[in-house]
Amino acid sequence: MPPTTTPRPARPRGVTPRLAYRPGVAGRGVVWALVTAVPLVFLTVFFAYPVASIVLRGFAPDGAVDLTAFGEVFARPRTWRIIGLTFAQATVATAIAVVLGLPGAYLLYRCDFPGRTALRAFVIVPFVLPTVVVGVAFRSVLAPHGPLGFLGWDGTFAAVVAALVFFNYAVVVRTVGGFWAALDPRAEQAARALGAPPWRAFTSVTLPALTPAIASAAAIVFLFCATAFGVVLVLGGPRYGTVETEIWVQTTQFLDLPAAAVLSVVQLAVVAVALVVAGRARDRRERALQLRSAETAHPHRLALRGPDRRTGDVVAVAVTTAVGVLLLALPLGTVLVRSFRTRDGWGLGNYVALGTTGGPNALSVTVWEAALTSLRVAVDATLVAVVVGGLVALVVSRRPRGRAGRRAVRTLDAVFMLPLGVSAVTVGFGFLVALQRPFGLDLNLRDSLVLIPIAQAVVAIPLVVRTVLPVLRAIDTRLHEAAAVLGAAPGQVLRLVDWPLAARSLGLAVGLAFAVSLGEFGATAFLARPDQPTLPVVIFRLIGRPGADNLGMALAASVVLALLTATVMLLTERLRAGGRTTAAGEF
Amino acid sequence: MKDDDAAQAGTGGQAGAGSRRGLEVRDVVVLYRDDDGTTKAAVDGLDLDVAPGEVLALLGPSGSGKSSLLRAVAGLEPVAAGSITWDGTDLAGVPVHQRGIGLMFQDGQLFPHRDVAANVAFGLQMQRVPRAELARRVAELLRLVGLAGFGDRDVASLSGGERQRVALARSLAPRPRLLLLDEPLSALDRALRERLADDVRAALRATGTTALFVTHDHDEAFAVADRIAVMDLGRLLQVDPPARLWHRPTSQRVAEFLGYEAFVPAASPTGRALLDLVGKQGELLALGPGSLTRDQGPTTAPGPARSTAVPSPALTGTVVTAGFRRGVVELVVDVDGVGRVTLVEPSAGTHLDAPAPGTVVTLHARPEAIAVVGG
Repeated sequence: MPPTTTPRPARPRGVTPRLAYRPGVAGRGVVWALVTAVPLVFLTVFFAYPVASIVLRGFAPDGAVDLTAFGEVFARPRTWRIIGLTFAQATVATAIAVVLGLPGAYLLYRCDFPGRTALRAFVIVPFVLPTVVVGVAFRSVLAPHGPLGFLGWDGTFAAVVAALVFFNYAVVVRTVGGFWAALDPRAEQAARALGAPPWRAFTSVTLPALTPAIASAAAIVFLFCATAFGVVLVLGGPRYGTVETEIWVQTTQFLDLPAAAVLSVVQLAVVAVALVVAGRARDRRERALQLRSAETAHPHRLALRGPDRRTGDVVAVAVTTAVGVLLLALPLGTVLVRSFRTRDGWGLGNYVALGTTGGPNALSVTVWEAALTSLRVAVDATLVAVVVGGLVALVVSRRPRGRAGRRAVRTLDAVFMLPLGVSAVTVGFGFLVALQRPFGLDLNLRDSLVLIPIAQAVVAIPLVVRTVLPVLRAIDTRLHEAAAVLGAAPGQVLRLVDWPLAARSLGLAVGLAFAVSLGEFGATAFLARPDQPTLPVVIFRLIGRPGADNLGMALAASVVLALLTATVMLLTERLRAGGRTTAAGEF
Repeated sequence: MKDDDAAQAGTGGQAGAGSRRGLEVRDVVVLYRDDDGTTKAAVDGLDLDVAPGEVLALLGPSGSGKSSLLRAVAGLEPVAAGSITWDGTDLAGVPVHQRGIGLMFQDGQLFPHRDVAANVAFGLQMQRVPRAELARRVAELLRLVGLAGFGDRDVASLSGGERQRVALARSLAPRPRLLLLDEPLSALDRALRERLADDVRAALRATGTTALFVTHDHDEAFAVADRIAVMDLGRLLQVDPPARLWHRPTSQRVAEFLGYEAFVPAASPTGRALLDLVGKQGELLALGPGSLTRDQGPTTAPGPARSTAVPSPALTGTVVTAGFRRGVVELVVDVDGVGRVTLVEPSAGTHLDAPAPGTVVTLHARPEAIAVVGG
């Protein structure tokens, strides 16, 4: 029985693929090669090369493999103390952030109450605040005369941990909250119907279901904590440090570059391990999200009184209020209030002083000039970060038909993800080591202002990628196919489908990159020229100088910097709100 | 859907309508890679023809390779071997967007950032249709699919059925020489699916569109198509007009897929008797719901074929289950020498009046509702 009932006509002879289409295919290949080459070259020169230089300097300072520097650094008790402290700070801060963040996630993503949207926006503010500002804020709260001075936490381990929790609270709330909001409520309802009391239903059904999100948030928080620099430098004083601050101390104070190189290698290993763990956890979370049914929970109305009152809600409200007031609002409020206190009582004196270079030997430029430098650098850094990060996201989000193409994208994906957990200090130190005579060329890039925006861009690129990539990846391939069968050429598909859907997230990425660049301190601290410091560098210099006037100026400058960053974030939050498509990626 | 709108939408010159040869698929192999890296043939050396103006349904169980074939024709899936031609011209190497072949997806795949009118207009914009002409054509198509006035609606606000109507209008707008429909109704609920199947057929007729319609639902295939191709395991089992397919399945596999339940070899005593009754030649007889009636006076059971039962060699069977379904009583009877067959009887009253399981009943065959397989 033949498989078909129609007679088979002779196969048309000599029919070859239309040659006219070949140039189009080749041209597209060239375009994609260029699009891939730009970020590849950029990251090779400004990430791989500096990192390789550090590693080389650590393992083979004079060309031959020589591990004496390693042996020497690891023989120092100080090194082991620093490594231990890094892990201890990161672990404790991560644990506290998760414990405090869970009630917040529940409250902001599973309950409905007036002002919820505003509160969600407020919670994100600390995450984008400049590290130096946060350091100054916690110091002014914990200082002997500060509102919480009685705790005696100034310059202690607890102060550093509190500041790290302050930063990363939002990461836990948003990562876990977003997952929680999409969690099918019927499993918990089934447990309740089977006779489990609310706490039991939570611990035996909801909490296990949340595990992938909690693990993912914890891994990323650990990564952020382990690479913390600015807050630790400001709050830890001489006794408490991390590998990051130690690299800086060894470089700038002891001028011991081999030791700094060895520590950078240690830091790279820590980051790599944290990244792998975070990546695994994220995959698990994304898989868990894909398995989700379309049914999502409607947030229930929060009731703290009356018959609908739930004990769990009361606990969540209490914990979140305490966190909001003590951890988030108090430090920010203290900086703001203190910035108006001058030697002669309350007034605008500190803000007037921003137009000066401060006390004797304090600064070489006025704070306003530094702010202008910061803005200029941030514009350049944002431009670079968004172009490079946007191209990375674009290339990695492609799903080519052919096997070779798919393998190429997978490889690029892995290569481009490498710098995602980059430590700012490693970037700054790497630039310092590598780019004095880059590739043996007689080009001293270090003395030009060019390196700072590029270093800041390298730090901001991961954020750009993480914001844009999930949105591009979430676009159904069949949407591209639908456009293609309607006659859209590949370029038109990009312009008419991907661009309108991802533009909002790219706008968000612009805001994030700008905010990060404004407050960037880790890499900038290594590269800033004395005559052209950025605002965070100026603040750090001011708090390092004695005198109430310098501290007052530092507080006023911190308020200015925080306002600048908050304004940028507020503008970009408006992109996130509204609109037909959700634009937000993850951290 | 009004006829005059439909006729108007159809004028405009179908690219395929004038050509003589339509789609020819020859020896096509489409591979797909499993998660474990092994390669399997989703389409395995398949031949298929679709004449210009024809609506052909590609019917088969899930995983039979229907969608892979469709995607290969659209140019979305590489063809490992064989050729796909339109009007004698090989489509190999022609990129998707230059094939002039439309594709309607199961879930519509409407552009979320465009409103209804802008979705329908997309293909026309690709053809650089002037604005006035474009607006006229969009309005015309929305009228054709019963969504006049929906132009400025956000696609997110539409119901499932409305979305598929927009998707249909969008696919028809650029006047594709061939429209591929990939299970366009399977995401909808049953009542809506039946209504929309008629509307899709009317729209395809009105525009004179050549179409290849993939489905796993026979009712849909019978409602929409001029011819039906049954596909399984990457190959075509049979291509025939609906009525011929129903009465003359070429293999037991096809008959099973169409819903026939019991198969009787013509060589068996029962088979010989039934074959005499049917009056045709063949090796195997297929019986399905409605093939047998109970010996309780004349009945006019609704079924695929209506005829009064002719007296026949009495068959006996034992009732296995009895149930009420959509206005009829269905009895599953284990028939001696045949196997289990479903009897469909009109429901008589408000209480189920059916023999209890275990009852032995006498049955008559309805020759026109019995298929001769391979005949």
